[in-house]
Formats: sequence, C-alpha cells, structure tokens
Amino acid sequence: MKKTLFVAALALSTAMTTSLFAQERGGVMTFARYDGSRLIDPIYADRNPDIWMVGSLFDTLLRTSADSQSVEPGLAESYSVSDDGLTVSLTLRDGLMFSDGSDLTGEDVVFSLDRARDPDLSPWAGLLGSINEVSADGQEVTLSLASPDPSILSMLATFNTAIVSKDAFDAAEGATDQERSAAIFAAGGPGVGSGPFYMSDFEQGASMSFTANPHYWRMGADGDPLPYLDGVEFEIIPDDATRILRLQAGEVDAAEFVPFSRVAELEADPDINMELFPSTRIIYAPINTRDTRADGSPNPLADVRVRQALNYAMNKDALIQLVLQGAGQPMSSPLMAAATQLSADLSPLYAYDMDRASSLIEEAGLPEGTEITFTTLAGSADDATVFAALQQMWAPLGIELVVQQVDNPTRGAMNRSGEFDIHTYGWVNDVNDPSQVVGWLGYNPTAQAVGTGWNDDEFNAIFEAANVEIDPETRAEQYRQLQEMYADAAPLLFMWETPFAVAVSNDITGYVQTPLGNNLFEEAQVTR
Amino acid sequence: MFRNVQVGGLRYILTRLLLMIPTLFLVMVIIFLLVRLLPGDPAIAMAGDRASDAELEAIRERLGLNEPMLVQFWLFLSNTLQGDLGRSILMRAPVTQTIFDRLPTTLLLTFLAMLLSLLIAGPLAFVAALRRGRIADTVIRSTFQVGLSTPVFYLGLLLLTFLAAGLHWFPVGGYGDTFVSNLYHLILPAMTVALYTSAIIMRNLRSAVIEVLDAEYVQFARAKGLADRLILGRHVLRNALISTVTLVGLSIGNLMSGTLVTETVFAVPGLGRLMLEAIFARDYPLIQGLTLTFAVLVSLVFLLTDLFQSWLDPRMRAT
Repeated sequence: MKKTLFVAALALSTAMTTSLFAQERGGVMTFARYDGSRLIDPIYADRNPDIWMVGSLFDTLLRTSADSQSVEPGLAESYSVSDDGLTVSLTLRDGLMFSDGSDLTGEDVVFSLDRARDPDLSPWAGLLGSINEVSADGQEVTLSLASPDPSILSMLATFNTAIVSKDAFDAAEGATDQERSAAIFAAGGPGVGSGPFYMSDFEQGASMSFTANPHYWRMGADGDPLPYLDGVEFEIIPDDATRILRLQAGEVDAAEFVPFSRVAELEADPDINMELFPSTRIIYAPINTRDTRADGSPNPLADVRVRQALNYAMNKDALIQLVLQGAGQPMSSPLMAAATQLSADLSPLYAYDMDRASSLIEEAGLPEGTEITFTTLAGSADDATVFAALQQMWAPLGIELVVQQVDNPTRGAMNRSGEFDIHTYGWVNDVNDPSQVVGWLGYNPTAQAVGTGWNDDEFNAIFEAANVEIDPETRAEQYRQLQEMYADAAPLLFMWETPFAVAVSNDITGYVQTPLGNNLFEEAQVTR
Repeated sequence: MFRNVQVGGLRYILTRLLLMIPTLFLVMVIIFLLVRLLPGDPAIAMAGDRASDAELEAIRERLGLNEPMLVQFWLFLSNTLQGDLGRSILMRAPVTQTIFDRLPTTLLLTFLAMLLSLLIAGPLAFVAALRRGRIADTVIRSTFQVGLSTPVFYLGLLLLTFLAAGLHWFPVGGYGDTFVSNLYHLILPAMTVALYTSAIIMRNLRSAVIEVLDAEYVQFARAKGLADRLILGRHVLRNALISTVTLVGLSIGNLMSGTLVTETVFAVPGLGRLMLEAIFARDYPLIQGLTLTFAVLVSLVFLLTDLFQSWLDPRMRAT
C-alpha cells in the first residue's frame, strides 16, 4: 500500500479560499472569547481555549483537509506509509522558517514529536503510543512504529504534534520542560512556532494579541504569503450577553459561543453575519448501566430495554426546537458526530415512537412510579429545559424523573464514581479520527465507557483490532459494526449535534472554526 | 496628655493587628476544610473529564492531594507564613503573583464603587431626612427600594445595554490599558455595585439623621439659636455618621462579593472573576489564597473603620 502524494502548496491554498474578490491585506481583527488561554503549547494544551488556538501559532507536518475526511501536506510537502504500516516517511518543504526567521529543520521535528509522545510531559502522549522512534536526515523525517497505526497520519495533523523550535526551548530559562514552556509563553514574541501568527502580547484573563508571521509558508490567493491580516486581538468576555453587546456596539469584530437562543435575533441583524460552523460536537447523556446503583439499590437502567425505551420516548425534534431553536440535528451515529471520519448514518436513530417505548417498558416489567434521577448542570438553561421536557415525555412510561443540580467538577466526579442515573455531557473531537471518541464513549478500559459502566467484550475486541487495522475498508467495516452494537445497547441517550455559533461583523470574511473547534484566522480578511 | 493619646492609639492599632492573627488562622482552617468538602476533584477539573485514572492519580500525587489532611494543612500553613501560597493549578503560576496581578483592579473597582455609593447616598439621605414624609423623601426612598431589590447582574446588563451599547457613553466591558482608560472602563461596573450599596447606606443614614435631628442636644442647639448650617455640620453630620461608618465598613464585604458578579458581567479581569474561575476549576491553592486575601482586606477595612469611628466619637477610645 505504498502511497505517495505530492500536492502543490499554491493550488491547495487557492482551493481553500472561497472569495472571488480581490484579497484585502492588512488590518487587525478583534475577537471576543468566552474564556482565555492559559498556555498555548502543543503538548500542554489541555483545555479547548488553549487547544483551539495552537494552530494559529504552530504548524503541523500534515493538515486536515477542508472536508475533514483526509489529510493533506503541511510542513511536510509529501508523505508515505510503508506497506507493512510500520514506517511513515515525510519530506519537509524547502526553506521553512519559524516566525523569527530561523530555520525549521528535521531536528526540530524530532524534538517536537519526542516531546509530544513523552508520557511524563504530555497528557496526549497516549495518542502517539504507536511511535517507536522519530529520526531525521536533512529534509527527510522517518517515524518507526511499534505496530501499524491507522490514525497516525491524522495524528500528524493534530495540534499536539505541532512543531516547536528546539533552539527556543534550549535557550529558555527553566529546569524542566514545563518551566521552559511557561517562560517562552510568558515572554511572547516570535520564534517558538511557525504558524501563521506569533503571540505578541498576553495578559492573563484579559487579552491576547497575535501578530502576522512574515515567514509563513502558505500563499494567499494573491500569490503572497498568508495571513492577510496584520494581527488578531482577543478579549475575554465570559458573559454571553456582554460579549454579544460588544459586537453589536461595534467594539469587536466577532463573538464566539453565541447562545442558540440569540441566533435568530443576530441573523436578523444586517451588520452581523451569524455563522453556524459544522462541528463534531455532540450532546448526549450517559446512562448508568450497572446492575446496582452506587447506593446498592437495584438499577432499573441496567435493563437495555428500559434504556432503549427512554431513547424512543425522547422527542428529539421537539427538544432541538426548544433548546437550540432548531440550530442542531439529531445524532445520526450513536458514537460520533456525522462530520467524524467513518461515521455511519444510522438515522433516524431511535425516532420518536411512544408505542414502541411503552411496549419495551412493559416487556421489562418496569414498575409504575419508578424514580430516575436526572443530574443537570446548575445554572444551565439548556439542561433545565431538557429535564423539564423529558419529565413530561417519560411520564406516560410510568417514570418519575427527579432533578439533581450540580456544578461541572461535581458532575465529572459523579460520572467517574458512577453515582448518577442519567446526566448530560458534551464532546468535541480533538483528533480527526474516530478512535478517540469511540474509545471514550464505548471502550470500557478508557473510562468505563463514559462512566456508564457498559462493558461489552466483543465491542472492546473489535475496537482494539480496529486500532491496528491499516486496511481502510476493513477498518470502516469494523467501525460500522461498533456503531450498530452501540446503538442497540443504548448506554446513552442519543441527543444531538450542535454547530459552533460565531457572530461575525460584516467587515470580516474568511474566518473559520473547524469541526474540531480550531479557530482559523489565516485566511480572514478585514474591509473597513 | 496629647502624647498619651497617641501612644494609646498606637497600642490600640497594634492590639488590633495582633488580633487579626487568630482571625486569619481561623479563616485558613475553615477555607482549607471547606475547599476539600466541595464535591468534585481538582485532578479531574485540571486534566479534564477525559483523563484516564492513571493520569488523575499522577496529578493527585504531584499536587500532594494524596497526603494526609493534617500534613496538607501544615504545608499550607507553613508555606503561607513564608509568603508562599503555592502554585495555581489553573493559571500554572504562583498564586501570589496571580493575585497581585489582579489585586489593583479589584481595589480600584471597590474604591470607586464605595466612593460612588457615598456620593449618591450621602446628599440624598440628608435631603430625604430633612424633607421627611414629603414628596422628595418618598421619591428618593422608593427609587432606592427598586435599586435594592434588583439583582446586581441584571442591573449591570441594563446599564450596559442602555448607557454603553445604546448611547455609547461607556465601553461595553473590558478594562483598558492606561490608568485613565481603566477608570473609564470601571465606571459602569462600579456604578452597578454602588447602586445597590448606596441604597443600604442611604436608608441607614436617613434614619440616623432623623434620629439625631430629634435628639435633645440638637433641639438644644436650635434653642440656643445656632444657624442650621452649623447644627447640621457640627452636630447632625458627625453623630449620624457614627453608625453609618460601621455600615460602610461592613458593606466592604458586600462590595467585594459583588465583584464576583460584576467582574464577570463587565469582563473586568479582577479577583472576583478569578475566584469564580478558581472555584469552578477546584483550584485549591488559588481559592485558599484568594480567600485569605479577601480576609486580610476586610480585616484591614474593619480596623480602619474602628479608627475612624473612634476619631468621630471619642467615647469609643476609652473602651
């Protein structure tokens, strides 16, 4: 299966630009965020506000294609995987530079990937567990794998394998890698990354500035290097209403995480372009499937028929109208968003069917008045609506749904200890490969199948086999099987997918949030 | 004689400062326990819901969360005495530095809010008291009643919507770069807190003024033929202020807890917002450090209040 790809950088970057008009250069875009970054380092980024900014400052060897279904060349102009799947060879582009003009070499690649796969350093090291050794000879980089890894190319297009400058780390102060990373981040300035921007200013919790990297390799539609902007200014405005007001007052150019209840209003605003970017975000609810509850009492949800009945008795279309004002769609795969590679379209997944639900409940012999606790996030209007609606929808099944409100860390702890019946949860893929989300939702050894306690030996075995399967068709078939098994077992309430809602001023074009959540400013333009 | 008063005052201050030590120790014990009684786990909050059990265990080990409680408390206590509040889990930086970075913002906001509430409450309280039972009094009191019963976050949003987004008189949130711009950015948030606090102060000051106006020494001063201006300035104001100063001192705690909401609504990077973030991240060291900081600030304000009061009312110095 020797596969070599050569794609010209120019053709690529023009293909990704949709604008037919002349390219506007210069200008600064201001962007209102819901939360600030703490440390933007490829290997230490562990919160979305950090992860989603890595790509602006650091570049990866490969890039995710616009449709998210494959990878394409990045810092590496070509790549190939050997027939046995044990060797990945990459060739770096000529003349690559970090943002301070210093050379980006194979040595930097080895340094970066060794850092990324060091379990003592990075929380993401497990995703690179197949790599045995990384070596470089001039522009040629070779990855030797201990076992075939079908997700390795996707991993090389993921934030945690972005390339950092070895020289910058060698020169930084600090005894440990963490300290050096923090020192580099605190100092700011060009040199540590080769992304379209470098960080020029940072005020913890308040603001952050990116300045265009003059040495960036990708070309714009006008034949000059990207980015088009001179820079991006970020402001942190945690309150939804304030963030939107600031955009409406013209004080910022974009506001992210617009609540869905405000989408219609902003769509009607002639000065604002309400973007709903397709995402890999799914909203679902883990169901405790253990035979007994944490307090030792018998668990009615251990019966698969009850879990299926709950899914049938959930009117997803009505809920999507209620909670998302229609800006979402029911999950079509039980294990992932439709935009994820290898997702199977099993829609309609548990289409609303009260008769079916009632007969399943009857079969299961669930006593009338069975009490089930629904744990919601305190202060979350969405959760409150979902609870109130489900209480109504499930009442005909003889289920008495009671609410328990907790805050986020408490919910996480309860999920781990199994002290819940049902609670809502969300997920966005970090990696452009289904293994991460399926490992989280279904594979018991990761985290007890998202805390549900569901444990199916056959499912686990297929998942493990798919993790080393390099024949794409066989792997796709394995994933189809996994999704069908999971849909039948119903360890979750399969709820919906939601887009990323970003309100953008009409002065701005070309800003994109990818399905993984990454904020892309490299092709954004400002016209004023 | 004069020197004695000064020495006595100094001794008083020193005693009061020493008394802060057991108070702060108690605060430390309570906050240490409270933080650990919160359900939820800093390791999960830190590594995210998706972390494996092994990762969580490694983080707990690194943060010293596996040590016995007494050992953890001893470490907290002895490090704090050496000025080391530990490292913030969330900010990945020393707690002291994180707090000092944001302290000026919150101090400025609190000071502005206090100043505004006094400027609003003071004159209106006098007008209301002097025109007791008449239209002016009713209007002032009912207006403040509305202010008192409006939630702070809602009031903040109203001010933002009308004065900032609508009329463009003020910026919509943020903090600015220079001192002047900081002040400009803080006016609306300060006003939001001030409207609430001034309602309390106004009510108290009004009834205090009324009480003093009815007191015999004021009647006597009137009978003596003193000018109204003198009576108000020398007798009424000074005596009515005594209880109000206590209230102002006490409401500093209110003002500071008000910053939790206002700093979030107005996107002001201060200690209040930091506290919220720290709680949601179960950032034990940062929560402890912030609580201690708030406790020290409030204690200092109480001390200042007492000193000011004893200046207003010499009878208090004897006790």
